[in-house]
Amino acid sequence: MILHVNHTRRDSAVPTTSEVVETLLGLLEEGTLEPTQYARIQVHLDWIQYRHNFREPVSVTRVPGCRDDNAVPLEIRIDGRQAAPGSLRELVRGALKPIAPEVVPGPGRIHLEDFCSFRRSVAWEFNRLYWSRLKDWEQATGRDYEKALPGGQSDAHHPQSITDSVGDFWTLLKDLQSRNQLPEEVFVLEMGVGTGTRAGMWLDRFLALDQQRETKFYPRLRFLLGDYSLATLERSRAAVKNHLDQCSFIALDALDPIRTLSFLRHKILHVHSSNMYDNLPDEEIERRDGRIFWVQVRAYLPTAEAARIGEACDVPVSQIAKTVNRLLDVGPECLPDHSRGVQFWQEIWAALRLEERMVAVEDLQDSPFPAALNSAQLDDILSEAPSDLRFQLSSGALESFRNTLPLLHPRGYLQVQDIFVTDLNEYSMGFHGPGKLEGSIVNWVNGALLREVAERAGYDLHFAPFPYRPGSRTSVLYTTQRE
Amino acid sequence: MSLPILPTTVVGSYSMPGWLERLKTEYFARRISRHELDEIHDTVVKAAIKDQEIAGLDIVSDGELRRDNMIDYFVERLPGVQIDRSSKKFYYDFYDCEVVGKIPMAPLGLVNDFRFLRENTEREAKICITGPHSLTKRIRNKHYPSEEALATDIARVLNMEMKELVKAGARFIQIDEPYYSGFPEDFSWGVEVLNTLVEGVNATVAVHICYGNRYGKPSWAGNYRYLFPAILKAKVQQLSLEFARRGGEDLELFREFSVPFEVGVGVIDVKAEEVETPEIVAARIRKAAQFVPPERMIVLPDCGLFHLPRDVAFAKLRAMVQGARIVRKELGH
Repeated sequence: MILHVNHTRRDSAVPTTSEVVETLLGLLEEGTLEPTQYARIQVHLDWIQYRHNFREPVSVTRVPGCRDDNAVPLEIRIDGRQAAPGSLRELVRGALKPIAPEVVPGPGRIHLEDFCSFRRSVAWEFNRLYWSRLKDWEQATGRDYEKALPGGQSDAHHPQSITDSVGDFWTLLKDLQSRNQLPEEVFVLEMGVGTGTRAGMWLDRFLALDQQRETKFYPRLRFLLGDYSLATLERSRAAVKNHLDQCSFIALDALDPIRTLSFLRHKILHVHSSNMYDNLPDEEIERRDGRIFWVQVRAYLPTAEAARIGEACDVPVSQIAKTVNRLLDVGPECLPDHSRGVQFWQEIWAALRLEERMVAVEDLQDSPFPAALNSAQLDDILSEAPSDLRFQLSSGALESFRNTLPLLHPRGYLQVQDIFVTDLNEYSMGFHGPGKLEGSIVNWVNGALLREVAERAGYDLHFAPFPYRPGSRTSVLYTTQRE
Repeated sequence: MSLPILPTTVVGSYSMPGWLERLKTEYFARRISRHELDEIHDTVVKAAIKDQEIAGLDIVSDGELRRDNMIDYFVERLPGVQIDRSSKKFYYDFYDCEVVGKIPMAPLGLVNDFRFLRENTEREAKICITGPHSLTKRIRNKHYPSEEALATDIARVLNMEMKELVKAGARFIQIDEPYYSGFPEDFSWGVEVLNTLVEGVNATVAVHICYGNRYGKPSWAGNYRYLFPAILKAKVQQLSLEFARRGGEDLELFREFSVPFEVGVGVIDVKAEEVETPEIVAARIRKAAQFVPPERMIVLPDCGLFHLPRDVAFAKLRAMVQGARIVRKELGH
């Protein structure tokens, strides 16, 4: 048995390694586990970061490819935040039975989909619903979504960070001007605009600096606010009301901005986003014993939870799955009473879980990787990674990144404030997501893969800690031209 | 072999397949031998030539598929340039290299590349050479008193190679100098270096100046005004520039200045995968013809096709040839 202790800090709430070993030995002694199976178990202790996530306290996955059912290697993952000390034995026993061919489901689940890649999961439909009906959610909770962020506010709005960003950009414009290369129109793109607060603050400071230094750059400025949610774009308008002549509001697919903005290819001098990559569809890959596996998921609701929600919202349990589909189609109006519809939405989201199975990647070359990545690049990066590893592919972030770079002017740069895993070894110290943040999904972004993609696209990628708020987990990704 | 009006050609490189990239990297990882890589190169060069012929080009190249990139293929051959061979992970990366003494005169071996090209096509053949200014910008100078001095010595070595190419039958030689657009202040001495390079070379010599195409994206911004009037002193026969991606604003320069050479007009955007239609190409040629007489115009892409997928590169070349034919017909040819 291999026990991966992923956490790096003592936490009294997390089961101890001795408790894990004692539990599994006990299950071996009582015959729940076969000796051959026991020998090949890999246990990941405290592997999930977010308190609100999609997992059971203990989940068990079979590693496919073994003909002897009694010897099938198992992966046991223990969420330290949910698995209370003393409860481990029952939780593991519950997760182990009944054993199905490919997955070990618990009893009493209402499935909402078939197994699929996480990026195709219905979970992302909930995420989309959240952003398109944000106002409904916030009215029900009485809380702005930013209040749910660590620290209660977005690092994107930090005044000094914005002042420094404006200063750097002004310096670039001045340099271009000195080389007689300043474009007639100076394009800046903010992707994923949130409340528009950052855009408004950035424009205020840019105008002030331009006036102070009498450089007359501001009239040339074309500030593009891009978001896939029309509701979000509309809401951001108020925050930039003093600069509307400089602003354009553009509905664009965060995964493919060049498609909408192809007329600005090689023309944008600065692209910025914050907390957008962590909210783009993702999928996961695991390497175990030298083999590569896709991690597939299947969304479900625990039947007991579904029954409770159904009773509270006046929906028969037999109609829960159908009503969830309707919720994702039309929003809270899936129920006649709007407030009850919102309640249904929020409770279903809170109860939503994902079970998993591993599917062997038979041929890496023919695997459906995101467009930005090919098998050779993945091979390269895995050659320097720990041998047994589960990591995020960050498909959405990779695609967005790849499809943003062609917008950059030769002297342009991309800055992304987000939560990044910058080295694959970090996955040995906890798996960073996915979690639930209000009604949305939050997920760490695989910066190591982004770096690889960037290099092949002609950019060096750098990650700097966000220095403006002590304790912030945010990093700042920025690009420089690769020679 | 006579060429039609508005002759069509490539700037040099042809599409580099992903599998060839991987094989080149395998070579750097010592997993395939030099001999195997040479065989692979011969095969892909033949395929690149064939594609250009099928597309209908009047002047073809070897696609530059033997080259890791436009710099390393030359610094590896330049005597006296010291290379840190551990300095690149991916074949396309640049070597770190430096010059610590005077560069001696020695052959670079490009004649073999040209002979292979010549043996495998009946069309007019063109070979491309990275110019001394661009090479100077990538070689750390630890010997010469100035970049100009280093570039001049590189020009002397390249000049000898160009004469050898002419002896081997080369009639069209192109010099690639994209770095001028990144360092326009160098162009004042760059023209003299250019003239050292082409002195006594009895061939049609073109100089290609674009805004960079490394990784399939522009490296620099600006406009071509920096070339004028200094470029008028260049003793070359053709000047090849990038117009498709950037629009035709700089064509005005050819109204402002009377240039003594033919002009290669870029009519294919090599930094976008959308394939131009023959009609778009024809329109670009017609626009250029308002500033450059058609009988002094060469039709080509903005730069090399290296970064484009093969099917896209081929379709673009085919559209370029068809577009040129449309205008030829309009001109009565």
